[in-house]
Amino acid sequence: MKLESLDLAIGMIVVFLLVSTLCSALREAIEALLKTRAAYLEKAIRQMLDDKDGDKLTKSLFEHPLLSGLMTESYLPKPAKKALWFLANGRGLPSYVPASSFAKALLDMAAHGDDGTQGSGGAMTVESLRARLNDPNCPMSPRVRRALLHALDTASGDLAQARKNVEDWFNDSMDRVSGWYKRSTQWIVFVIAVAVTLIGNVDSIAIAKHFYQDEAARNAAVQSAQTLVAKPDAPTKEEAQEVLEALELPVGWSAASVPQGGEWFNRVLGWLLTAFAATLGAPFWFDVLNKVMVIRSTVKPREKSPDEFSEDRQRPPAPVVNVPAPTAAPAPSAAAPNSGGANLAAVIAVAQDQLDCCGGEQGEPATDEQLPAAKGGVQS
Amino acid sequence: MSFSLVWMPDVLLSAGLKVALTDAWEMRGHGDVGTIRGVLCHHTAGPRTGNMPSLNTLVKGRPGLNGPLCQLGLGRDGTFYVVAAGMAFHAGPGSWQGVTTGNTNFIGIEAENTGLENDQPWPDVQMDAYRRGVAALLGHLGLPATACAGHKEFALPHGRKIDPTFDMPAFRAGVAAILGGTAPQPVLIPKSEPTAPGKTPRATLRRGATGALVSTLQQLVGAKVDGSFGAITEACVRTAQREKGLVPDGIVGPKTWQVLDARSTPGA
Repeated sequence: MKLESLDLAIGMIVVFLLVSTLCSALREAIEALLKTRAAYLEKAIRQMLDDKDGDKLTKSLFEHPLLSGLMTESYLPKPAKKALWFLANGRGLPSYVPASSFAKALLDMAAHGDDGTQGSGGAMTVESLRARLNDPNCPMSPRVRRALLHALDTASGDLAQARKNVEDWFNDSMDRVSGWYKRSTQWIVFVIAVAVTLIGNVDSIAIAKHFYQDEAARNAAVQSAQTLVAKPDAPTKEEAQEVLEALELPVGWSAASVPQGGEWFNRVLGWLLTAFAATLGAPFWFDVLNKVMVIRSTVKPREKSPDEFSEDRQRPPAPVVNVPAPTAAPAPSAAAPNSGGANLAAVIAVAQDQLDCCGGEQGEPATDEQLPAAKGGVQS
Repeated sequence: MSFSLVWMPDVLLSAGLKVALTDAWEMRGHGDVGTIRGVLCHHTAGPRTGNMPSLNTLVKGRPGLNGPLCQLGLGRDGTFYVVAAGMAFHAGPGSWQGVTTGNTNFIGIEAENTGLENDQPWPDVQMDAYRRGVAALLGHLGLPATACAGHKEFALPHGRKIDPTFDMPAFRAGVAAILGGTAPQPVLIPKSEPTAPGKTPRATLRRGATGALVSTLQQLVGAKVDGSFGAITEACVRTAQREKGLVPDGIVGPKTWQVLDARSTPGA
């Protein structure tokens, strides 16, 4: 029974992994169309440059020769919008701006004016920059001037250090962009997950029942899990689709699958469960699947004959995975399927310490040509 | 983001050892390690040929057990291959000095050796690097030589593992001598040949080198002559070094130059 409930859990994790992979793929497609990240980056630069409408310093910055190459079309500032922020449109804007280009361009604009025609013709120094920024006629807003002056003040007269300070300021801001983007992704993936769940009628409760009743379905799911974790990376969209179809789950709409009366409650609950699970993301479920497969391999009786790789060794060959002695650890089999999060982590930790290598089947041997290059060992 | 054991390569390099990094080693691990309480010595029981044939398995794992299977691999030429900065599945159930969670608390080193009669005794250069490497890691962690165990000593029930095949108390004594400063300094390969009258000393070459001297070398070892010392040239050098009983590390120092010269002029 223990292994059965573990396999049921594995089946559910596989389904969640595959659904969330599909949702992530859809999210990426939306991002490819909208370029939300680029829009956030532009918004962050507007905030840094104290330029709410993007038509002053931001415009000059994006048109600066050091940055204009990153743009696919010329910069047209759009009025700041609040609505549907998580679907902000950033087409034509760069989705990445190197911190060094930003710092160089901004300092250049401070020294030589927005279009490079002002200021002394001489090379930029910390002093000339300071003089320009302290000049009451400087076109930059007081907030930007203060930020730049602070970068100069903490550079102890070194122009390279001043540029580095500006880069740090920019990078801090970019961390915020990542935060915005992450939150927007969570919302969008949830909306996508709800849509996918409804359109596909992916009801977690019904699927769990299916795995519970049907041993063949459970075994098929565990087998898919084994192929999935055999690869180092989470599955691609195509792989996910393939595996989902092969599993023959009770999903999709037909006349018989329309819920009747009291079934609605369970059905909606099942949908919501699927949607929330998919929102956690494919990397999360891939990680969980890997860990649970480790537990399974420690509790599962060995399937292969232990002698198949034996040469004339001085001892019986090590089993592929050592089944822990009952006294060595709390039996993971009893605790694994039903325990809560902390308990599960402890079981995983115990299980992980039961695994070892040395001997056993080896993969494809690495030839000398495939080895990475070495350093050290020679006099310098 | 990278895992905790990112300091290993620098520590090994400053001990005068050869170090090679696998791709993405900083991020590799089954999660992070815990507090490191020692070093566990293994051998791979891998194939007999090549310098580190088990490296793929150590990185990726094998059927039924995902990699990484150790933090460090040790090639037959004494090169440390850095596999993972995070936790690896190397220890299994066992106990050493009260520590039972080996994968969490021990750094695992897998040295290339079949563990069979056909691979005894271990090459001197590999054993020397093994002792110096373990001593460097323990020195960095502030741990004594007794914090180093063989997998055969750690694994429970006793007799479950036979690796490594060498004598562990003697190994620990060697590690203690290095930690205590009573062992001789490591012997490094000279930067070039000694100056001799009438001859220009040739520089020591290794992978990554370029130029006319590399082309000369490639002619000597029978590699494609393109003036760039790559993986294939290195493999050819290793083969030549193995034939002549030199350390097969692919580094062309004074000894290898001498042997290659003698080979190219059989009549002389």
